[in-house]
Amino acid sequence: MNGEALAFWALATVLVGSALAVVLTKNLFHAVLWLALGLTGTAGVFLLLDAEFLAAVQLLLYAGGIVTIVVFAIVVTERLVGERLSQTSRHLAAGAAASIALAWALVSAVWQRPLALVRAPMAEDLTQIIGDTVQTRFVLPFELLALLMLAGLMSAIYFARPED
Amino acid sequence: MGLQAYLTLAAVVFCIGLFGVITRRNTIGILLGIELMLNSVNINLVAFSRFSGDVTGMIFTVFTICITVTEAALGLAIVILLFRIRRTVMADHLDLLKG
Amino acid sequence: MTDAGLHTLIALLLHALSFLVLAVVFPFRRLGRPAAWFSILCAAGSLVAAAIAWNHGVGTVSRVVWTWLPSGGQTLATVGVLADGESTIMLVLVALIAFLVQLYSIGYLSEEPPASLGRYYAYQALFAFSMMGVVLAPNLLQLFICWELVGLCSYLLIGYWYYKPEAARAAVKAFWTTKLGDVGLAIGIVMLWRQAGTFDLTEMRVLVESGALPVAGLSIITFCIYLGAMGKSAQFPLHVWLPDAMEGPTPVSALIHAATMVTAGVYLLLRLEWLFALTPDVLVIVAWIGAFTALLAAVLACAQDDIKRVLAYSTVSQLGYMMTAIGAGFATAGFFHLLTHGIFKALLFLGAGAVIHAVHSNDLQHMGGLARRMPQTTIVFLIGTLSLAGIPLFGGFLSKEEILGAVWAGGLVGPFALLMLVAFLTAFYMFRVVFLAFFGRSGGPALAGSTAPHSHDVGGGHDHSHVPHDPPISMSLPLWILALASVAIGLYFMVAGPALPFGPAEPEFEAPGWLMPAAVSVAVAGILLAWLTYQQRTINAASLAAAFGPIRHAALRKFWLDDLFEGLYGRVLLAFSRLIGWIDRYIVDGVLNVVSAWTLTSGDDLRTMQSGRAQDYVYGVAVGLVVVLIWVRLG
Repeated sequence: MNGEALAFWALATVLVGSALAVVLTKNLFHAVLWLALGLTGTAGVFLLLDAEFLAAVQLLLYAGGIVTIVVFAIVVTERLVGERLSQTSRHLAAGAAASIALAWALVSAVWQRPLALVRAPMAEDLTQIIGDTVQTRFVLPFELLALLMLAGLMSAIYFARPED
Repeated sequence: MGLQAYLTLAAVVFCIGLFGVITRRNTIGILLGIELMLNSVNINLVAFSRFSGDVTGMIFTVFTICITVTEAALGLAIVILLFRIRRTVMADHLDLLKG
Repeated sequence: MTDAGLHTLIALLLHALSFLVLAVVFPFRRLGRPAAWFSILCAAGSLVAAAIAWNHGVGTVSRVVWTWLPSGGQTLATVGVLADGESTIMLVLVALIAFLVQLYSIGYLSEEPPASLGRYYAYQALFAFSMMGVVLAPNLLQLFICWELVGLCSYLLIGYWYYKPEAARAAVKAFWTTKLGDVGLAIGIVMLWRQAGTFDLTEMRVLVESGALPVAGLSIITFCIYLGAMGKSAQFPLHVWLPDAMEGPTPVSALIHAATMVTAGVYLLLRLEWLFALTPDVLVIVAWIGAFTALLAAVLACAQDDIKRVLAYSTVSQLGYMMTAIGAGFATAGFFHLLTHGIFKALLFLGAGAVIHAVHSNDLQHMGGLARRMPQTTIVFLIGTLSLAGIPLFGGFLSKEEILGAVWAGGLVGPFALLMLVAFLTAFYMFRVVFLAFFGRSGGPALAGSTAPHSHDVGGGHDHSHVPHDPPISMSLPLWILALASVAIGLYFMVAGPALPFGPAEPEFEAPGWLMPAAVSVAVAGILLAWLTYQQRTINAASLAAAFGPIRHAALRKFWLDDLFEGLYGRVLLAFSRLIGWIDRYIVDGVLNVVSAWTLTSGDDLRTMQSGRAQDYVYGVAVGLVVVLIWVRLG
């Protein structure tokens, strides 16, 4: 087994394990922390796939930003509720059955025909290329994205404004 | 590892996220499940992009991440607002559309 | 269009015009007498046209049709006229009797209110039109439509005095009984169409004569058609309506229950003679039922006291005669008797009407010695009776001979014997009427001004001390015309022999030599018995009646046939309809109610799927996605 395969299996274990922990833990705060671990694992997978820029973005925005927001939300609602938020889940069996069935369906679809085993050649400096392409070919979606994020930000502030 | 391995990984994480969405009672817990699902989509995109040599997939991923962030912020704002109005974050108390 | 066809069309349409004017222009109709004269005028014109048509029509066939119902590129049905020897002479009979009856009615119904009189003449015009439609029909569809119209007019005219409950009941009874036969006719016509592929009579005849029509199953068809004839022509057991139909005015009885409507059945069988010739087994049934009907009706006629009832049963009996001849296979003989019978039976009815008009009663026991006071009526009535009895020199003699000869030639010995017996009885009961009503001592409380006259169809309010007298000219003119016609026919055929102006030129059979003397002597014997019993009183009427005790008793109960029908209709049919009603309420509606209840409960159960929680919906989406993926994988 070469280094890449080893790395893949390790990251896969981390990712799947933390994902399971996210959905199964009773304590919400712990779930968030497990999510952070899972997102970091994803960043590792990106690195494995030669997407360094994306790995960085993942760590910054996902593992950094989103986890922070969720923690704040928990704190706010927990404070408001005044007690520890506990997690009890319902319909575990039905949900598990649906999820497992879907997983089986997707995996069997993937393994139906042989797909690429060897990576296609790609340029070394992907970051440069991503930057160029965004600013030239995808500049319109880029600008719209900025607009979208602005709108989202403003509405989030509006939703969460203090009551008066 | 071939493309299929990465796709399988993404599929498994997706389904785990789906399980979380279906079974969690707390609204924020549901949002965590959604995050997992979106994450798996990103893995899929990057894997396809790498194995076919086209950078478009990665650019797609950048956009996806940004939009996910926005969605998370808005979703949590809604949860806080919902809590103010209905005094609960438990999803099974929110059943006004009951038939 | 040849002359015959054109003139039959004119004859037909004049009555239609009369009906339409009277029906639509109701202010004119409500005037009464002017409307009546208009109708009589149209009837006269129709008679002239019919006579011209007969003149041209003998020996020719003229078919004038218009396409009515197209179907798949071909014609399904046509309307028009078929004028040949048979139909034109029948047309003349219908036109003549219709005209004379309408003329007679002006005098008979002189006391009716004008609006009712107009209504009467509208019905008369419609009847004449529809009867001519039956006679002239070129195809079975038009025949059936006009057949039903005739039945409707019969109902309307029997129930003319609708405020009398007996009249209303009699009208409904007539309608229902004939309708029973009409069902058979409709079924027969449709089945025949399936076999032959056409409704048209001419085309069908070509098919039959070339042997192209399959004979299998034809017996059922002809029997069904015979059922229709059975209803209209009052054969046993559907004869029960005819005596009750006497509740209508006497001219109506003369027109439709003596000469025209009831003969429609005989005419139908005549028209389809070539079809019935293919099914001899049905013809045997026709003959036997005809002979039995003749005997049954003759027995019943002997026990009646109402003069119109006697004549009604006599009509049934004579219709049986005609049917027997047809059953023997010689429809022309039956048709011949139909024509002569039409004339003298109409004469008898109109004469009876004159008597009733004068005496204000139908009851024979209230009459007597009318010969002195009503000589004209006596003479014409006597002429009619002699024709009916079959005495030489008078109208009915040769036609009766023809029938007896035909039945003998057809080899039907049983019916022949029955018919000879009926000839005896016919002479007997008719002369009973003559002797009781016109001769003997004047009797009857009605003449002395009794308190309660048993009048059934009184024309109006004569005061009781009025002495009976001969009818006015409007009523006596038709009587004389018919009487003279009857005598003229009798004399003509005495001279010319049995050469009929239609049908085959040579006689179809040779009657045995002993037939004529035998028939005449039987008739004379009947007259003799009646004379001895009712005129000379040598034989006591009561002991004669007692000798036939059980039969007489049964005859007075009309052989319980009416009760049987009532029981069938009343009990069986009603019970059946109650059963159907129960099935409709509990099973048909029940199924629907159960289905709707299930819908409601399943709807309630399905509501629980809408829990209002978004997570459950996501779950639903996931399950749906799995199903779709599996389906795609498998497919």
